[in-house]
Amino acid sequence: MSNTKILLVDDEDSLRITLAANLELEGYEVLEAASAEEALEIAEDNTFDLVLSDIRMPGMNGVELFRALRAKVPDLPCILMSAFSLEELVSSALSEGVFTLLPKPFDIQAALAVLRNAASGPIVLVVDDAEADAETTAGLFEAVGLKARAVYSGKEALAAVSAGEIDVCVVDLIMPEMTGSELITELGKLDDSVPVIAVSGHDVGDLLQTSRSQVFTSFQKPVPPADLIRAVAEARAPAKRS
Amino acid sequence: MASSSNLDAQGMSARASELLHEQQHAVYVRTDRMFAALMIVQWAASILIAWFISPLTWAGKTSEIHVHVQAALVLGGLITSVPVLFAFMKPGEAVTRYVIAGGQMLFAALLIHLTGGRIETHFLIFGSLAFLAMYRDWKVFVPATVVIAADHLLRQIYWPESVFGVIAPEWWRFLEHAFYVVFENVFLVMSCRANTDEMRDLAVRQAELEDSRSQEQEKAAELDRALVALTKSQENLLRTEKLAAVGKLAASVGHELRNPLAAIRSAHAFIVKKTGVGEGEFSDPKVVQFFDIMEREIDACSGIISDLLDFARERKLELRSCPLHALAEEVISVVPATEGVVVENLISNSLPVPELDKAQFRQVLINLVQNAVEAVPKDREGRVTLSASGGAASPWRIEITDNGEGIPEDVCRDIFQPLFTTKTKGTGLGLAVVSGMVERHDGRIWVESVEGEGSQFIIELPAVDAPAPDAEELFPEAQPALN
Repeated sequence: MSNTKILLVDDEDSLRITLAANLELEGYEVLEAASAEEALEIAEDNTFDLVLSDIRMPGMNGVELFRALRAKVPDLPCILMSAFSLEELVSSALSEGVFTLLPKPFDIQAALAVLRNAASGPIVLVVDDAEADAETTAGLFEAVGLKARAVYSGKEALAAVSAGEIDVCVVDLIMPEMTGSELITELGKLDDSVPVIAVSGHDVGDLLQTSRSQVFTSFQKPVPPADLIRAVAEARAPAKRS
Repeated sequence: MASSSNLDAQGMSARASELLHEQQHAVYVRTDRMFAALMIVQWAASILIAWFISPLTWAGKTSEIHVHVQAALVLGGLITSVPVLFAFMKPGEAVTRYVIAGGQMLFAALLIHLTGGRIETHFLIFGSLAFLAMYRDWKVFVPATVVIAADHLLRQIYWPESVFGVIAPEWWRFLEHAFYVVFENVFLVMSCRANTDEMRDLAVRQAELEDSRSQEQEKAAELDRALVALTKSQENLLRTEKLAAVGKLAASVGHELRNPLAAIRSAHAFIVKKTGVGEGEFSDPKVVQFFDIMEREIDACSGIISDLLDFARERKLELRSCPLHALAEEVISVVPATEGVVVENLISNSLPVPELDKAQFRQVLINLVQNAVEAVPKDREGRVTLSASGGAASPWRIEITDNGEGIPEDVCRDIFQPLFTTKTKGTGLGLAVVSGMVERHDGRIWVESVEGEGSQFIIELPAVDAPAPDAEELFPEAQPALN
């Protein structure tokens, strides 16, 4: 962890400085930039493992910065911060492979947990008995720079989650042997911190009667790829305090 | 507004003829009564006349009352009683006035006989016809004329003296009398018809008047309704304007505050961790306590800002299947537990699943459950329940019920208004946000409350049958590839 290098971009000095101090306290190495342009300059001469950037900044915004950095390093994990509620800009960035969004003012502990997770290079697990579907879906995530793995049964899925590295599961509800709902129940026993996105060709609601809070959201096939990718990003957001 | 008649032409003329008949009936009844009285008086008069005019008859020593007096009494009584009976039994009916017409003519005939065919007595016939004209129904002249003509004809043949006062009248005397009667009838019939026409005109006018009056009333009612609608839309407009103003302010203030808050939070977190609050120079219990207060108040601030921004945000709904039972479970797990209050999820697992924006609806329920929990006084065993019914073809109905203090009526009215609050601490936006979110789902929300016993918030969502496409593939080939 001590080697993890974070590029922190925010035009708000007070937040950037205090946040950087917190990150350093956690053992991260932090590169600070007060604008997207400055961040790109830093990126010319430096490498880093993670980007944490504000969205609204004078000049180039955080989403544009994300796109520019991704053009150089296709699988660079990027986390965006915003004081604004979901807007078009954020919504499209989330479907382009942004790791997740931290809504300001975030809880530092929760934010640190998200950063740790992002830095560890977590994998999206796609569970579908139709192998071609599973591969296609996993391919979608990889195409936007997110790690993904496809498995074709509930048993394999449980094994993969036990092995770690998985932080989100996309589960097809209709499968032979272990059904999606059964798998979700089993996953809950195994590790209830892994959110599940349920997908089905049939009425998801009917199939999800036993759904638990672990099911982050559900879709009915066909799911627009952008929506699915965005849902994964949203599932990775810090847990809401209440 | 275009002056449109309430009644169509057909309806109007129906109403007019109804009015005409009513009035005619009234005239018939009135005239029937008048004739009944007239005929009784007439009968009495005829007896007197017979008494004075006709000499006593006598045979030998016995003097008797003249047969004329007896005729006046008995025959006159008979002729009078039948029409009078009709007038009382069947007032206003056609047969009554025909019987009266015939009876009156017969009585005139009797009187002519009693006066020995005096020509002046014949005037009673013409007078009677004139009286009959009061019926304003020309048909009464038919039986009257038939009776009197038949009477004259028969008497001319069998007893001319009784009708014309002479033993052998000219053969055409009957015709001459008939001619006078017909002559008068012509004018009386004309007058009756003119009268009827006049009555008909009046009836039409009255029908029109009635119609226009009802139009007026309707117009007035319409105006009232328009006024109510206007007031309501004005209220809505005001509310919308208020919302828009609050929204704008909230959005700018909220966003401006979020960055500093984030910095404060971050700084706070750093200090707590770096200096080890509770140790060394920071071991003073007040320092520990104040750092806790800072954290709590920062949370409170960000909560208020979230409220404001939720309120300002008009984000598009993302509708997905959202099982209500599971949603309620989640909501209950999120709302902080309060001692003495039990929150129960009574929503059935088998309820049809609505399409909702889960994030928004979750917040709706969290707000309502939180309020319900807070509504329970400390000295009471609190019970908050979530229940739901409907689905598929019928609207969904979700109820959040508490046994708290209840809400006064005037508060109920304004409870969903933005900036309205009875709490000492609160933005007054919570329920406004809730109602906005429900309305965006095309639903409605209202509250029913009994003071001292509890409240129930009811959400009704329109019945929508969820579409069920049969696509088996996750991503059909038609889907555009992502860059």
